[in-house]
Amino acid sequence: MPIDLTLIARALIFPGFIFLLALALFFDWFERKVAARMQNRMGPTYTGPLGILQPVADYIKLLTKEDVIPRQVNKLLFTLTPVLAFSLFVFAMFYIPIDGSNVILNSSFEGDLILVIVLITIANFALFLSGWSSTNPYSGIGATRILTQFLGYDIPVIILALCPAFLAKSLSFVAIAAKQAIPFALLIPWSFALFIITLQAELEKDPFDIPHAETEIVGGYETEFSGRKLAFIKLSEDFQFLIGAALVTELFLGGPFGPVLFGPKEMWGAIWFVAKTLGVIFILEYIGNVSARLRIDQVVHSNWKILIPLAILSLALTITCEPLLRSIVS
Amino acid sequence: MANKMKLPSMIRDIASSIFKKPFTREYPAVRVEVPEGFRGRHILDPEKCISCGLCERDCPSKAIELVEVSGKRMPMFYLDRCIFCYQCAESCPRDAIRLSTVFELSTTDKEGLLVKPEEFIPQQPVTTKE
Amino acid sequence: MAMFEEAVSILKDNLGNDVLECKTPKPRRAYILVKLGCHRDAISLLLKQYEQTGISTITGTDLGSEIELNYHMRCGGAVTIKNRVPKEKPRIKTITDLLPGAAFYEREVFDLLGVMFEGHPNLKRLLLPDNWPKGAYPLRKDWKPQDVKSGVSDSEKNSETNGGELKEATSIVNVVVGPQHPALHEPERFSFKVDGEVVVDVEPRLGYVHRGIEKAAEHLMFFQDVHLVERVCGICNAAHTTCFSQAVEDIGGIDVPPRALYLRTIVHELNRIHSHLLLLGVAGLLLGYEALFQHVWRDREPIMDLIEMITGNRLMTAFNTIGGVRRDLDPNAAGKIKKTLEEVKKRANFYKVVFKEDPTLRLRTEGVGVLSKSDALKLCVAGPVARGSGIDMDVRKDDAYAAYEEIPFNVISYKECDSWARLMVRAEEVLESIDIVIYALEHLPSGRFRVRVPRRQPEGEAVGRVEAPRGELIHYVKSDGTAYPYRVKIRSPTLANIISFPTMIRGGYVADIPAVLGSLDPCFSCTDRMVFLDTQNDRRWYWSLEEIKPKKAK
Ligand code: SF4
Ligand code: SF4
Repeated sequence: MPIDLTLIARALIFPGFIFLLALALFFDWFERKVAARMQNRMGPTYTGPLGILQPVADYIKLLTKEDVIPRQVNKLLFTLTPVLAFSLFVFAMFYIPIDGSNVILNSSFEGDLILVIVLITIANFALFLSGWSSTNPYSGIGATRILTQFLGYDIPVIILALCPAFLAKSLSFVAIAAKQAIPFALLIPWSFALFIITLQAELEKDPFDIPHAETEIVGGYETEFSGRKLAFIKLSEDFQFLIGAALVTELFLGGPFGPVLFGPKEMWGAIWFVAKTLGVIFILEYIGNVSARLRIDQVVHSNWKILIPLAILSLALTITCEPLLRSIVS
Repeated sequence: MANKMKLPSMIRDIASSIFKKPFTREYPAVRVEVPEGFRGRHILDPEKCISCGLCERDCPSKAIELVEVSGKRMPMFYLDRCIFCYQCAESCPRDAIRLSTVFELSTTDKEGLLVKPEEFIPQQPVTTKE
Repeated sequence: MAMFEEAVSILKDNLGNDVLECKTPKPRRAYILVKLGCHRDAISLLLKQYEQTGISTITGTDLGSEIELNYHMRCGGAVTIKNRVPKEKPRIKTITDLLPGAAFYEREVFDLLGVMFEGHPNLKRLLLPDNWPKGAYPLRKDWKPQDVKSGVSDSEKNSETNGGELKEATSIVNVVVGPQHPALHEPERFSFKVDGEVVVDVEPRLGYVHRGIEKAAEHLMFFQDVHLVERVCGICNAAHTTCFSQAVEDIGGIDVPPRALYLRTIVHELNRIHSHLLLLGVAGLLLGYEALFQHVWRDREPIMDLIEMITGNRLMTAFNTIGGVRRDLDPNAAGKIKKTLEEVKKRANFYKVVFKEDPTLRLRTEGVGVLSKSDALKLCVAGPVARGSGIDMDVRKDDAYAAYEEIPFNVISYKECDSWARLMVRAEEVLESIDIVIYALEHLPSGRFRVRVPRRQPEGEAVGRVEAPRGELIHYVKSDGTAYPYRVKIRSPTLANIISFPTMIRGGYVADIPAVLGSLDPCFSCTDRMVFLDTQNDRRWYWSLEEIKPKKAK
């Protein structure tokens, strides 16, 4: 059987694993730098130009550190879950069109939006298990907080993701992104704004960074992890962040599609994708920086009492306005 | 809950910070100026010292020891114990102890934490690292 | 002050022959020696008359054959009620039934001097480790450090002090916060019992940064002690030195030149500004508002530079001394200070608005950690914690020292009684302090800034009180006519305030722990200066309001 070289190259290098890894690390750096500037400080400075290699250095450091497994933990889960969470996030990322098509060519299908959301949920569950398996009270509290928060925010995320899907009459990322000559963010700004806020909660950023509120529960679910495992957990978080930003880009900002100036279409796809995601990250980081951390009970309350009704309302509004919007687009 | 909320007041401040230069002082790449009158490493004037030992007696953290240097007893300062209160300078009847603005006192050996009187006698080689 | 003189005359009239000796060496200071056991009558008289009466601390002093107990009451001034108990049989009736806030102070005296307080609901060791040899009381004069080295042994572990566990525990998890924990900047340990996200109870363990300063102070000369007490706490060092110097000046009858008083006030207030800004920033960090934290601390930096310029170091001022201050203010500096302060004032005004209006901050602090006014009075809390509970109490007004008599300013208090109120008190006090400094600079008297004082001080005793950034700070100094103090007692504001923590946090959420702890602005190196550290002993005790409160049956 002939080996499909493009397939391997796409999966491993561009826009597959290596590109995604580089992208995740770059976003990590960008996030830190932006946060630092908002707080009037330097941020990463000395590693590479403008400290851009800082995340790489951090991961290399983590990989060389001693990997401690506490005696009390459930060894199987404790070892497995960080890797599991990481691979699930990477897997989910493979369904997001970065250069105009999915990582595995032609793997896009009607409903991959649902698949990605499901994968994220399972990956979060893996993170919960990782905290639960470490039998530390901080991890335990952190893990329950992930679950409480995540279960709540999954519902509005799905409802809100349906708004662009409804407008595009499709449940596949490529189709939704391709339909956005005018970005949906402009057509249905209400859904966009709500989605950004829900995403903030999904990504556990301030004001919703409750699962790892370090002044309350130290490291949250990741308290007991060290060395390689911690590296995997941190990488999972980076990937989660990447996926979150990518979701917004695909659903509301037209994903990789944008004007092609010269050269190959794929390159411009990637460039547009990265540029738009950076914009999203900037917004997320800004919200995180102008708010204090809420309390879990307040989050649960605001979720069920405010966010879910609003999400449903915005879906209803989208459906009602659909003919009007459609006429604007065409 | 949501309806009586105002927008966070920090919004503008944070937005404007993005375009500002960071407040961080890039020490050690950029030198830091300390004001005159800063209480740093001691300076001893061996000419003025009359070996009275008042500084040794009054130092609250016993960071001074009188040592014999070229036939004269003069104070030696242990910077690791010193709290930079400058009680010694205040107690000295001849103003033989003065303050300096040298504040970078980290060293890699204990020798570096001694301020020896020899240092201030010009003929003798300086043994302490600056 | 009228209230103070009235209080003293009420005591004298009602106690009659029970008053053995009554000295009022200066306004708002009274030392009343009463017959053994009559202290309770005196205190209940004061309590009945004045609602705001509280206890500042209890000092025990070894006088040789007797132990003198000084109950430092605050009542328009410092009324010290003295009792002498024989050393062989040191027993005295407790006052915790009158004032629950005295619980810690009595335990401290019990621990360090071996005085039995009859009727104390929970007379356990507060500071010393369990395996401390019985009968070794470090603040007694005949105690030698060597006694302990040989005496400590595991076999002497006092099982009594091992705390009672919650018996009905089901879903209750023990969450230990500290000694190393991101919410604590200094090592202390709190053991929380948590049911889900709700805090059921808390056990504190102090003592990780003990340095034995009270004992050490007896071995240094008065002027050297100024440098020692400065190190009780880095952040409020100017408060400690002012307080100690005032006490010694009272003993020696030293008149401090007015210029020195003003300069003291300036440094003291700059100290308060930077301490409050520090806390406001930390509160931001504790509540997950990192940007606020960074911004506040950025704007605190100019204040540190000012302090550095005036005193020669950005933190350790070494500015006050007995008889005045150690440096004069450079005449050119005043302009720069004023300019910087105007800038800081703009920022402080802005942060006041932030704390007042920011929605997420309010969500996290409003109604959290409530300490009602009556509880606050009973527990004798001090400073911003008391003012956040609606008690107008400020040593600068009630017992004006340094230049405060001449400087106009407002006492800030809030009626909300929650964490938010305590933070707001501080945010507004920064503004008041800036005004005080500017006023003091404008009205700075000329003349000497220091008088030379002899090393020996006459026999006598004095109480120094100042309003440190965290609340009322009190130093008691006793001199026996030598150059060395006979006894130095320091009660830092955090010890007065930390007693209220269990009341505030019980029933709250885990996420409220940093919010409440932060609003107390605890400073453990102050509190611990007299706590003895024991690393091998994993002792815990159970500490609840039920124990602090008087037991009904007794
Ligand atoms: S500065 Fe103070 S501690 Fe240092 S040597 Fe002089 S007297 Fe001693
Ligand atoms: S006090 Fe002055 S004169 Fe006396 S020994 Fe010290 S340095 Fe010399």
